[in-house]
Amino acid sequence: MDLITELGELGVNTDEALTRFMNNTSLYVRMLGKFPAAAKDAKVTEAFQEKDYEKALAAAHTLKGVTGNLSLTPLFKAYTDIVALLREGQPEKAEALFSETIPIEEKIISCIEKHS
Amino acid sequence: MNNAILIVDDMEINRAILAEGFRDEYDILEAENGLQAIELLESNANIAAVLLDLVMPEMDGMGVLKKMNDNGKIVHIPVFIITAESSQKMLMDAYNLGAVDVINKPFMMNFLRCRIGNIIELYRHRNDLEEIVNEQVERLNKVNLSMVETLATLIEFRDCESGEHVKRICGLTEILMTAVSEMYPEYYLPRHEIEKVVTASILHDVGKIAISDSILNKPGRLTKEEFEIMKQHTVKGCDILTQIPDIMDNDIYNYSYDIARHHHERWDGRGYPDGLSGDDISIWAQVVAIADVYDALVSPRVYKSAYDFDTAVRMINNGECGVFNPKVLDAFNASADKIKFKEGETV
Repeated sequence: MDLITELGELGVNTDEALTRFMNNTSLYVRMLGKFPAAAKDAKVTEAFQEKDYEKALAAAHTLKGVTGNLSLTPLFKAYTDIVALLREGQPEKAEALFSETIPIEEKIISCIEKHS
Repeated sequence: MNNAILIVDDMEINRAILAEGFRDEYDILEAENGLQAIELLESNANIAAVLLDLVMPEMDGMGVLKKMNDNGKIVHIPVFIITAESSQKMLMDAYNLGAVDVINKPFMMNFLRCRIGNIIELYRHRNDLEEIVNEQVERLNKVNLSMVETLATLIEFRDCESGEHVKRICGLTEILMTAVSEMYPEYYLPRHEIEKVVTASILHDVGKIAISDSILNKPGRLTKEEFEIMKQHTVKGCDILTQIPDIMDNDIYNYSYDIARHHHERWDGRGYPDGLSGDDISIWAQVVAIADVYDALVSPRVYKSAYDFDTAVRMINNGECGVFNPKVLDAFNASADKIKFKEGETV
């Protein structure tokens, strides 16, 4: 199974993403390849551990944009809610949601890494 | 034609998507943060639009918008905010800082291309129109100035002068007005106003066109009655100017009117036509008055030969040509070298 099909099964809206990438599949795949590092560099986990919610907000905000553009739909929805919860001053709820999101994110990342 | 799009986003993934979407139609410039964006805006004159992320390190999107307001670029280059931001306050702030549109991530590329393409066309059209209007205004100003000069030349023909008198009055007015403005804060005029006064001085004697040849060109002194008629050139000048207000800009018209009427008034109230005294006489009329007297002294006339520079300066300072404002006299004396040089140049 190729990357695009496999991601589709994980809930990624690959059709929408390919429209956004002007049907340039190889560019989409190349940019997906940059997602694992982007997710790691954002350091959301660390920010929550340090209870630095400003930093958590900025990081979640960045990932909201990136996952949205890559149409990593389950992650985009999660980060959208995390940003909203942090803005509303509910960091515990945001952190709980983030913990639920981690396994989904790991699945998507390992799928991308398997194919690279 | 401006054909580059500047993409500003700290995430490479986001920049790559936008670059891919516009690569076929535009040159692409990329910046990772606001500071790089500002540098690229300074060094590239061909940027047709900016696609700007809000949250970035170094300088954020709001910082870029503020800077573009400061340097005026926001007027000519459309800025699109492309953001995952949904906070209404932040988006409103971006609009208030002059962003043309806010596009949320994730965006649909085909709609994005249409929205951005349309606005770029609109801005191009507007920038072109602005350029055309500026060119036309400049041409109109030139035509107006040449009409004013033509009118002045006609008067000089009547007056049997060389045509140089008006040019010298302009030169002297420029030197004296600048000196007075620099030396005395109460008479300060900004540079662009001084330029208007200089243009207005061209028409100071426009009323002479209404004075008969026998008086205007009489060799020898005028009788009392003839002098009374000659004095009328100030008031007649105003009558003529009121008939042709449209050949010049409103400010220049007002200066011209005032100078034509009052360039024979004197500081002690013994001039004409209104017998104004002191600073009831505008500073520009005072300046043209002394310029006119000086030029009459150093020029040959049908009734007299030319005085040399030193004699002319002495006669003006002695009050032999009427009393002038001591401050304007100071400015005149302080500018003597420049005036002498100017005369050597034109005579």
